[in-house]
Amino acid sequence: MVELKPHINQITPNWTELTWPIKMVGKYLAHRIACENWLLSAFEKEIVEIRAGYQSSSIIWSSTPDLPFLKETLARFEVNSTEVECRIWRIPVCYEPAYGKDLHALAKAKRILPEELIHLHSRQSYQLIFYGFLPGFMYLSGLDPLLSQPRKSIPDRVIQAGSVAIGGDQTGIYPMESPGGWHVIGRTPIPFFDPKNNPPVWAKPGDEIRFYAISSSEFEYLETVPTPLAPL
Amino acid sequence: MIRDWTFAKILNTGPGTSIRDLGRSGFASYGVPKSGPADLIAYSWNNLILKNKPGAAQLEIMHPGFKVQFLAPTLISLAGPTAEIKLNKQPIKPHGIHEINYGDYLEIGKFELGAIIYLGIRDGFQSEEVLRSRSQYPGITKRYFVKKSDEIPYFTNQEIPFYPKSSTVKWKTDYLHQETIRVYPGPEWNQLAKIQQKTLLTQPFHVSEMKNSMAVQLDELIPNTLMQMASAPVFPGTVQLTPGGKLLCLLQDCQVTGGYPRLLQVHEEDHGILVQKKPGQCIRFRQ
Repeated sequence: MVELKPHINQITPNWTELTWPIKMVGKYLAHRIACENWLLSAFEKEIVEIRAGYQSSSIIWSSTPDLPFLKETLARFEVNSTEVECRIWRIPVCYEPAYGKDLHALAKAKRILPEELIHLHSRQSYQLIFYGFLPGFMYLSGLDPLLSQPRKSIPDRVIQAGSVAIGGDQTGIYPMESPGGWHVIGRTPIPFFDPKNNPPVWAKPGDEIRFYAISSSEFEYLETVPTPLAPL
Repeated sequence: MIRDWTFAKILNTGPGTSIRDLGRSGFASYGVPKSGPADLIAYSWNNLILKNKPGAAQLEIMHPGFKVQFLAPTLISLAGPTAEIKLNKQPIKPHGIHEINYGDYLEIGKFELGAIIYLGIRDGFQSEEVLRSRSQYPGITKRYFVKKSDEIPYFTNQEIPFYPKSSTVKWKTDYLHQETIRVYPGPEWNQLAKIQQKTLLTQPFHVSEMKNSMAVQLDELIPNTLMQMASAPVFPGTVQLTPGGKLLCLLQDCQVTGGYPRLLQVHEEDHGILVQKKPGQCIRFRQ
């Protein structure tokens, strides 16, 4: 077992960063989330927000925190008490060329058939680590290493909202139209960010994301008749 | 109190004009950027002298050629750079409160000093509020940037509000001349060699043409010998080192996470100094 005590670094009077010695993914992710939840409940009034990365969580305080007290509170956090709710979401994706414009080129570069690429992408279970890059953009871990591909050297000017793409060793969904350098392999009709809702996203870090292939007619149906997504 | 709904009609604008308030706090864990005012100093001053709430929405204007018509009486305030400002074609002082009557035109010409002008209005602009803020951001508000022929709502009492003409706090432009920007060492600061740390805190840096509301890149190169890192939290004011060795100072609309080493964090009070610099101008970091 890796030592999971975070290093505490006070960057500015209002910004404390907790850094772990390893990437907090897989079985370690629950630890980071439980630790954040523990702090949020202990310092409900003092914490403005917590934003996370792979190996760190940043706490923004409404005023300068009492560091010895923070350390003491963290020390009281039980490593065993890392029960974190994990929901499973199944996301429909149309991998047809009209929606996955880079799928064939990527399959060719990987020397596999497009069907194999779709299979390798949709059989995995991905873990939601944190949101970043764009509002509602999920950092997902779990891409089959066979599908890992460096980003395009010249990013596309426009990637459509809902595009499912591969960049480096990650896969992700563009919640809104954006320029981007990832290889687009499909598109989902499911909205990933709705600013009219609070929270504007439906999944939480720690949840599992799975993809399943749909036809273009199913895509069009789901786009016209939005069906609420429910966890498994 | 009468509080009628009226509009400011945008007759002309350069790129980058946008509606700003204090931005979105508490949504970063969903990937939502802060989108506060680029220059909190100028923004806060307008709201203070207009006796507005601290978070009243204003217009952030980046380019000359801006022209607006106010359809009903109110008070406005200008802060930021010194610029050629005209009200109904008559030159007016570039900072402080101005009375606005039915149909008055305001024009913003050449900026003398600085890069961003704030136009505040009594009670703030009343545009769409999404996720507890009116600040415009793509995918969050319906509009990103203010465009020609937009109509931005505000309240009017159908008469020019009373305000004490003598007690106004003077606008100080000193910070627009200032080159020194105070910083804290960032999370990856200690990965730099001592000599690199010294260079960062002594040599002057120049603002490049690569500037938008998300970040401004500096011209000078710092050899990047740092290890690759996993995406980590970033904030407005975080100074990152890109793989190519350029310093990237993140601004108000920056992403919530980033994958480049975070070398410095600019003091919140000094963001205004940085954002008001034009390409080619010099800054220095001081701890």
